[in-house]
Amino acid sequence: MASIRTEALILRSVDFGESDRILHLLVPEIGRLPVIAKGARRSVRRFSGTLDLFNHVKIQVDIRRPNSLARLDQASLIDPFLAMRSESARFALGCYLLELFDRLAPERGVRTDMQRLFSFALGALRMVAERAPDLRLRTLIELRALDALGLRPEFSRCVRCGSAPAGRSPIGFHVAEGGVVCDPCCAQIDGIQRIHPGTLRALEQGLRLDFDRLDRLVMSGPSLAEAHQLLTRFQRFHLGVELRSAPYLDRVLRSPAAG
Amino acid sequence: MRSTPAPIERLITALKRLPGIGEKSATRLSFYLLGAPDAVVHELGEAIDRLKHEIVLCQICFDLTDESPCAICRDDRRDPSAICVVEEPADLVAIERSRAFRGRYHVLGGTLSPIDGVGPDELRIAELEARLKSGEVGEVILATNPNAEGDATAHHISTRLAESGVKCSRIACGMPLGGDLEYADHVTIGRSMENRGPI
Ligand SMILES: [Zn+2]
Ligand SMILES: [Zn+2]
Repeated sequence: MASIRTEALILRSVDFGESDRILHLLVPEIGRLPVIAKGARRSVRRFSGTLDLFNHVKIQVDIRRPNSLARLDQASLIDPFLAMRSESARFALGCYLLELFDRLAPERGVRTDMQRLFSFALGALRMVAERAPDLRLRTLIELRALDALGLRPEFSRCVRCGSAPAGRSPIGFHVAEGGVVCDPCCAQIDGIQRIHPGTLRALEQGLRLDFDRLDRLVMSGPSLAEAHQLLTRFQRFHLGVELRSAPYLDRVLRSPAAG
Repeated sequence: MRSTPAPIERLITALKRLPGIGEKSATRLSFYLLGAPDAVVHELGEAIDRLKHEIVLCQICFDLTDESPCAICRDDRRDPSAICVVEEPADLVAIERSRAFRGRYHVLGGTLSPIDGVGPDELRIAELEARLKSGEVGEVILATNPNAEGDATAHHISTRLAESGVKCSRIACGMPLGGDLEYADHVTIGRSMENRGPI
């Protein structure tokens, strides 16, 4: 590959030196791709209005030089997702998703997976832009984002023996093992968290539903709180750190006026 | 190759950290200073040293100043009923250069940027709200940059100020002077149409 023309989603934009900008892109063929946009800060004309966060753009990138940053040669705007800017909860959830992709999307991942991730990312932003985000939407989108990033938690079968835990009492979940653990297997490991079966069923449904119908999934308050806490732990385990945009998102979703 | 004496090397290293200065420029400046009259070198050193000691933030608008309140906040010929909100002191300088605004300013100290850990509490928004309590201010002009973070920050502030009864306006966004419609992105053109004015 040398010079490629494709689409991209702008995940992050950092000023670099006097006149350049470094961008982290999500690209359907590659995954995460950091690029340098030379002269982007100086020339209004060159990349006029195209290099903003959330922007879905058409690009031409030079990735010829193996050991240096790819160079962005051209960019034109497809969709800026302007709705993200006009409401605090959308902006907060949108930034949170961008950071999640930026931290977890592989560089040069498997092509088909990356294409799937890219369409997921656009779909997720579209959904956030059209809704008034709340904790439920955040939890469900985060679940699907983890799935799209190759981190799908297992909610229905024991990750150790494959049996399906049944009954009404809380079921074991092991974050590091990536899913539910049946009672006999629970006896063999530490760090088990107990989750209500109703919460696990809702999360399982959240993985299976058509993405566009995701926000029809009903969850009770306690179930939602439990699901949110479980996903936060799951995501923290795989990421190693808390996302920097998490405190702001938590705050905005708790009291929209304060955001 | 002969190595450069440590004091020169140290200056080169320090100068290289400045924006726009690379190895070559840093070396050239260092040798220039070495050959310059003592008074010139002394004056530069003192100016750099005093910069950090004597510049403070204006306690009203948070611009950089050598005396608080700053000259603009002290100037009673400036219109106290209009406050222009900017991200950084450099933006204030740019607007002052235009001579298009005769009110006062408020420097936020950045924009909302959750990915960098910057939320509303890290900006001087509460300080802006406090300024409006006097009842003297009739309009707040939001002059954050027209990018994602700047727009989000402007929306955030206008939402928060909604109850105060103070009018909030946003700087217009559209075609740049000398621009070319053919090469402009469709969002810029769209905003130009929205923000069009009488001729
Ligand atoms: Zn088992
Ligand atoms: Zn001042």
